[in-house]
Amino acid sequence: MEFSRRHLGKLAAGLLGAGLLWPAAAGAQDMPAPFDNPGDVEIALVRYLSTGDFFQAYLSGVEAQAKALGVNLRVLDSRQDAALQADMVDQAIALGVDGIVIQHGLTESMKEAAQRAVDAGIKVVAFDVNVENDAIPQIEQSDRDLARLALEKAIKDNGEAWKAGYVYVAGIAPLDRRNETWVEFKEKYQGLEEVAQFGTLDNPIANSVANQARSVVTANPDIQVMFAPYDEFAKGVKIAVDEAGLSDGIKIYSADISTADISAMREPGSAWVATAATNPAVVGEVSVRALAMMLAGENPGHNVVVPPTLITQEQLNAQDIKNMEELSQKLPQFAHADVAVPAWMPLPPRD
Amino acid sequence: MEGRDVPMDSKLTEDRVVEMPEIAAERPSLHLRTILIRYGFLALLAGLVVFFSLATRGFASPQAAVFILQSVSITGILALGVTATLVVGGFDLSIGSIATSSMMAAAYVMVVLEQNALVAVLVCLAIGALVGLINGLIICYMRVPDLLATLGMMFLLIGLQRIPTEGRSIAAGMTMPDGSTAEGVFSPAFLALGRHRFDFFIPNLVPASVVVLVVLAVLIWFFLEYTRFGRMMYAVGSNARAAEFAGAPVNAYKIWAYVISGVFASIGGILLAARLGRGDIASGNNLLLDAVAAALIGFAVLGAAKPNALGTAVGALFVGVVLQGLTMMNVPYYTQDFVKGAVLVVALVFTFALLGRNGR
Repeated sequence: MEFSRRHLGKLAAGLLGAGLLWPAAAGAQDMPAPFDNPGDVEIALVRYLSTGDFFQAYLSGVEAQAKALGVNLRVLDSRQDAALQADMVDQAIALGVDGIVIQHGLTESMKEAAQRAVDAGIKVVAFDVNVENDAIPQIEQSDRDLARLALEKAIKDNGEAWKAGYVYVAGIAPLDRRNETWVEFKEKYQGLEEVAQFGTLDNPIANSVANQARSVVTANPDIQVMFAPYDEFAKGVKIAVDEAGLSDGIKIYSADISTADISAMREPGSAWVATAATNPAVVGEVSVRALAMMLAGENPGHNVVVPPTLITQEQLNAQDIKNMEELSQKLPQFAHADVAVPAWMPLPPRD
Repeated sequence: MEGRDVPMDSKLTEDRVVEMPEIAAERPSLHLRTILIRYGFLALLAGLVVFFSLATRGFASPQAAVFILQSVSITGILALGVTATLVVGGFDLSIGSIATSSMMAAAYVMVVLEQNALVAVLVCLAIGALVGLINGLIICYMRVPDLLATLGMMFLLIGLQRIPTEGRSIAAGMTMPDGSTAEGVFSPAFLALGRHRFDFFIPNLVPASVVVLVVLAVLIWFFLEYTRFGRMMYAVGSNARAAEFAGAPVNAYKIWAYVISGVFASIGGILLAARLGRGDIASGNNLLLDAVAAALIGFAVLGAAKPNALGTAVGALFVGVVLQGLTMMNVPYYTQDFVKGAVLVVALVFTFALLGRNGR
């Protein structure tokens, strides 16, 4: 940097505080080092996955929190190239950044690169990739909690005894974790009977699942609940239930959410009654906050879990929520997570 | 072979010349084998239908018949398109990605550009025809082998469909890359293509996609079997050089085959978009594989041993019956790919081994 960092940092903090009605900026001086001069702090986001709504939203969360802190953010995107992602960590080390967020990736390729960063005195956090390093906190969205919230809602709506169809594909880590919860629930509530299990990841997934689900509901007309713990599955099941004219008799419970899912849940007479989801933007914010805590010499804990929110059809209809932005605005618990929020931490502005 | 081949003048002569002596020599045993070759696959299909009807609840109903057809309508339409390229001795690997690109295009036209259903359909058909034309031109005039040209086109389209939205799926109310919200919606008329049901003895029975499949199957069957253009396409496929010496514009026939394939694939994409009600980022590779499987299984139907529209339709139906029947029996998903593969291998063995012994 060719400027005087100290002056630039103060100037930037002052401008942001004045210009953006940024509540915490007035107290920038109260932030612990190194955030008393946030313009001097540089962090890097090293991404493995970036295509798709979820990852776009995650990035927006990272950007918002970095801006709230006033730190500089560099985004390095390896576009699903594991070797390149490891090289990018080395690149970030060479650039002399203060902190690194590793977003996804493969344990095998990232483990050593992450260790090199730690050895270079750089603080590192990892989201959804296990780099097997005690010095690196893991940011997680809890898949078990996602499944638990959806299933508790199903129990609440339908009692403790019902016939269920279950959509599952083994070998996908988040789906496997959600499956553990389903297995627990079946043991806990003996009245739950899984009469059919199906699922496929042939894309377009919703179309393939719709074909399967159509057969399942025809062969098992007594199914009351469909547990589809992934929104593409739920979308497919909904298409099949609609086509079979069974929307009144079947309720769909799922996980994850997107703008398209919101409109599907809100269609008149939709069988898709509830979904449990974590806001990817919030996960992005939490990733940066956990890193900031480490830079300030605090300990966010080894596992930083972002809690999911249950979103029901009634809520969406009652508050007339049409897309993800409105969901964040109208369901505060979805827009915020009280995770990694020490008193000094500035939060991104909310409208 | 006698009765059936009468309308097919071009094939008649050469078949007769080869097979005459054999027919005379061993008529009784050949008779049995001919029946087996011609009707074996249809008998297998009928057997499966009976089996699933007995083994599951609800398989033997008009509703089940309809959703089996619906489950294969999109791959079936793609398969009919690829049949046209197989007929001229080519191959089209890009059909899956043409279908998903056309799905994205339909969603983009309606949701982002806020146009109506007709515009969306026309844009999709135009994309299909254009991609088919480019495929044909590359193959015929740039002399790129068909598999490679269409493979390249496949990758190109998988990437292209992501560019307008920077990799996002398209749904009503989506957030655009610039942060604004898309105002358009899927028009009800367009959604009806995937969701409307026609009365057929029972009210609201037959989905529009099944009607489209049946109409396209009849059209392409008539076109390939009974028009001069279709017969010439077979001639180009069996011996391009001979057809060229006979004065046929071989390249034109080939290019037309790819255009047909592209348009059919884009129709499949339109129906996909109408069923899903949004534009999903997808490679369409599963659509491609299922469609090719249906077309190849079709070789075995009625002992044709060549690409044919009727066989392709029956092949698609066969795959649909097997997969939906197994799903109704709660058979795990991973065994279904296995079964699909087994059906294909058996069909190919059936085609090439049995017919080979028959003196071809």
